[in-house]
Amino acid sequence: MINALRWLVFAIAAVAMNFPIVVTLVTSLKSARELSTNPGLWVQAPTLENYFAVFQVSDRLNIFLYLFNSITVAFIGTTLAVILALPAAYAIARGKLGERTLLPFIVNLRAVPLIIFAIPLYMMFQWLALLDTRLGLGLILSIVNLPLALVILVNAIRDLPAELDEAALMDGASRTQILLRVIAPVCRPAIVTSLIFGFITAWNEFLFGLMLTTSKAVPITVGASFFFAASGGGVQWGVASAVMIVGALPPVLLGLIMYRQISGSMTAGAVKG
Amino acid sequence: MNTQRAPSSEFRLLATPLVIFLLVFLGFPAIVNLIYSISDVSFETLRRPKITGLSNFVAVWNDSAFWQATWFSLRFGALTALLECGLGLILAIFLSPLIEKRSWLMAILMLPLMVAPALVGLMYRLVLHEFAGPVPYYLWAWFGASLSFLGPTSAFWTLIVVETLQWTPFALLLFYMAYRAIPTEVVEASAMDGARRWSLLWYIELPLMAPTIAVALLIRFIDGFRVFDNVYVLTGSGPGGSTASLSIYIYEAFFKQGAIGKAVAASVILFVVSFAVLYGLNVIASRRKGVLK
Repeated sequence: MINALRWLVFAIAAVAMNFPIVVTLVTSLKSARELSTNPGLWVQAPTLENYFAVFQVSDRLNIFLYLFNSITVAFIGTTLAVILALPAAYAIARGKLGERTLLPFIVNLRAVPLIIFAIPLYMMFQWLALLDTRLGLGLILSIVNLPLALVILVNAIRDLPAELDEAALMDGASRTQILLRVIAPVCRPAIVTSLIFGFITAWNEFLFGLMLTTSKAVPITVGASFFFAASGGGVQWGVASAVMIVGALPPVLLGLIMYRQISGSMTAGAVKG
Repeated sequence: MNTQRAPSSEFRLLATPLVIFLLVFLGFPAIVNLIYSISDVSFETLRRPKITGLSNFVAVWNDSAFWQATWFSLRFGALTALLECGLGLILAIFLSPLIEKRSWLMAILMLPLMVAPALVGLMYRLVLHEFAGPVPYYLWAWFGASLSFLGPTSAFWTLIVVETLQWTPFALLLFYMAYRAIPTEVVEASAMDGARRWSLLWYIELPLMAPTIAVALLIRFIDGFRVFDNVYVLTGSGPGGSTASLSIYIYEAFFKQGAIGKAVAASVILFVVSFAVLYGLNVIASRRKGVLK
């Protein structure tokens, strides 16, 4: 009896929390004609025409470019964050370097409204000609990803036995060699987790994409909103829905495949950070 | 191992790239912020700001829109944090027997966390649209009611619901992990002592989860306080600036009004306040850890 109630509560919670996704998915399968008569939650004649329409490139809209931009900036923002964080995490965990200064400062970054840095970064990017470039947006996304990557990696290295380093030190290895040959391989799961988590975060970022890009480097989160500014005669809801589904799919798939690791690191980032 | 030992120079070298990166991309902007905040500056005089003192701060201080945005951010952060954590706690404990056996249920509940808040905001433009959206459609068909979800009176609450529904899974996940981490011996021992389900929950389980609850409340408050994406795409600053968060206030001051000085001064205020609060919290947290040890 109580179990039936549990299932009921689960069903209600699952539908309520996923409601916008469900509605968008359903709408994306409706033809333009059906949309004007049927705003309900079922589809009379499912069609993929909206998805074909989304992938039509026009002067104004180019979904391939937005997706390519998102992939590139997410890749830069993720790998750079890990490349910077891994040696620093090793220095913090083993060298006790900046444990009370650098680490808390970076962890606190996660909690600071990033808009604070957005305006001077905009001006700086103007001087450096980084506005509306994938490199520029990728660099900023690596700052967004740094706090969690650092926390995950510091925790992973702290969990390793100190004998691992000491044995290598005895053999005359330098700290850099130990990091590359001993620590990094053992920390591969943590590195993969921070990469995946970073990719999802970077893909989903909106504020910096909105501020720092205008046409050439627009990521999908910003590009999707272009589909809402319709060219005359109202929003084409079917096409707009299809673009949102396409834009949401990569992080959702990654998240579903890796959700165990992600839930673990979310908790780590929250509790230990 | 002696932890007081001075860090070797090689460790310093390993941390250097990160430090340089932070100095360039955060340190430099922070300095620019400080200089511009006390200058008379426009898009034409970006390279030759004229230092004028605190007039930008005075302008922000006297701007009622700034205080309206502060009040919005505080209320939005507090309400969504409480709702998300309350709902998340109830769901985590009530659903844990189901999720324990089938972890894919958690994957379904976590799905909203993977979607960009900006996209979720855009999705709600569809969900709530008066002609194309299913919610107004069913409200009208079943109850004969028509509500303006994004109108002046209800926009705030619509945004609260949107934010809460997307981020309750985060609290749920955290609480579920904390709940599962309670040692079974503790629960069994109290059950042997005749503790009932409710008193077990109230006196044993919830106190054990308290640190996690505090952390979740804090994180969700911060994220609600600095909200931008979903509010921006759904209502923007809203009728009369009624749904402008501080992030949106700064964005619009800069990009829409070109009021660089005001935008930067507001950034500096936000910067100082958030770091002061976070630093204070860190001090409290480390003191409590010290007491516990």
